[in-house]
Amino acid sequence: MRNLPLKKQFAASGASFSERYGTEIVSQCSGYEQEYHYVRDAAGMTDFSFMQKFTVPEESGIDFLDSLFAGNVAKTRFGRVLHTFLPDGNGNLVADCYIANNDEEYVVLCESIADDRVTRDIFTKNNTAGVTDLSETHVVIGLDGYKAWAVVKELFGADVLGLPYLSIERYDFEGTGIRLFRAGKTSEFGYLIMAPVEIGAALFNKLLELVKKQNGGLCGSLTHDSLRLEGRFFNIFSEGARVKDPLPLGLQWMIDFDKDAFTGRDALMERRTAGLKTKIVGVNAGKGDDALKAGSPVFDGAERIGEIVTTCFSYILDATLGLALLRSDVAFAGLEFRGGEPGGRIINTISMPPIMPKSLTVKLDEM
Amino acid sequence: MTETVRVAIEKRSAVINTFKDELIRRLNLPYTPQDLHEDVSLLGAGLGLDSLDALEIVLCIENCFGIKIPDQNTSVLRSINTVVDFVLQEQAKKVQQ
Repeated sequence: MRNLPLKKQFAASGASFSERYGTEIVSQCSGYEQEYHYVRDAAGMTDFSFMQKFTVPEESGIDFLDSLFAGNVAKTRFGRVLHTFLPDGNGNLVADCYIANNDEEYVVLCESIADDRVTRDIFTKNNTAGVTDLSETHVVIGLDGYKAWAVVKELFGADVLGLPYLSIERYDFEGTGIRLFRAGKTSEFGYLIMAPVEIGAALFNKLLELVKKQNGGLCGSLTHDSLRLEGRFFNIFSEGARVKDPLPLGLQWMIDFDKDAFTGRDALMERRTAGLKTKIVGVNAGKGDDALKAGSPVFDGAERIGEIVTTCFSYILDATLGLALLRSDVAFAGLEFRGGEPGGRIINTISMPPIMPKSLTVKLDEM
Repeated sequence: MTETVRVAIEKRSAVINTFKDELIRRLNLPYTPQDLHEDVSLLGAGLGLDSLDALEIVLCIENCFGIKIPDQNTSVLRSINTVVDFVLQEQAKKVQQ
């Protein structure tokens, strides 16, 4: 297992740890409810160092990356970040990735459901493109929340507020260059800071000080999983790992169907042409101790029409939310089905995202 | 499929299909209607449309369904499904009047 370079710092703050596909992750810090409110009301700081991280020179990188990824790397403008996925030969999900066009290099960040070593081998084996694996030499710290912008503004200056969503910029921290991604999957302001491990501890301490100033704190990956679902961002570790096929998951927007070739393209095109048999849809299961869990069947009358693939508790809605993989002819919002058994708990299919994040109400002149 | 579900799907599908077709045509999106999941984010993440595209979507809704989106109600444009909810809600209001 690949260990986290910032484990000591997170452990000192009471964090618990677990393993996910061959890497260590910070599972939880102060508990779900507290961490949830850090992000929705203030700022949450999460260790994303478990991600696989690579750089590739621009010259040799475009063709190499375009041969792997479903999205179009060549069309990604300077300073921008492409959000796409790494498929296997059958067009199924291996990793959810950000690919940043950063001056003379591409920076790749992956969240993978293949073993860490296997994922890294995809990039570094027969390394003709000049890939550098930064997975063990760099940390990635995530800042998400309604006030996350205030943290990065204090650290890097006001021009950071001009960064559009899905962009990258270089900054200095105590004389060392770091890469700042404006990205996030909670629907609040989000940033990923990638820095060499040598300055990891100092960066952690400074960021935590600034996060606490905004009444925020540390978050674990498990809380992040729930926040992603509530904001209806794709999560490869929950619905991705369970379903694997990107098409029923609605990830067509991550694919450039006009690209001539990439891993798994033929299989994906074949399934696209055949049409979807199942499709993911949001559900609200209300409140209660018997709230639905992943794997619970869903019924229309006596007929089984699918199953729940992931759930979370939303404090904003005071309800259990989820995603269900349903037969595509009934996978629509605004319907009432039953969960668990025919005549069981009422679940309503809903339009996603179901919440209005506070970050969408922030105006530039208030920042 | 139960009758209640069938009727609800028919009504929703009509709005979804009209909106998706028009969205693809107006914004020249490289997708088929089947490629567009109804929960996909329209602005920022997902389809990654910008503020000019947002104006086009507002016009699209106005032309297709005769419904205006109030200036301050940008939350309607978060996904295809949130647009469809708004259209169905406004259509229901018109019927009641």
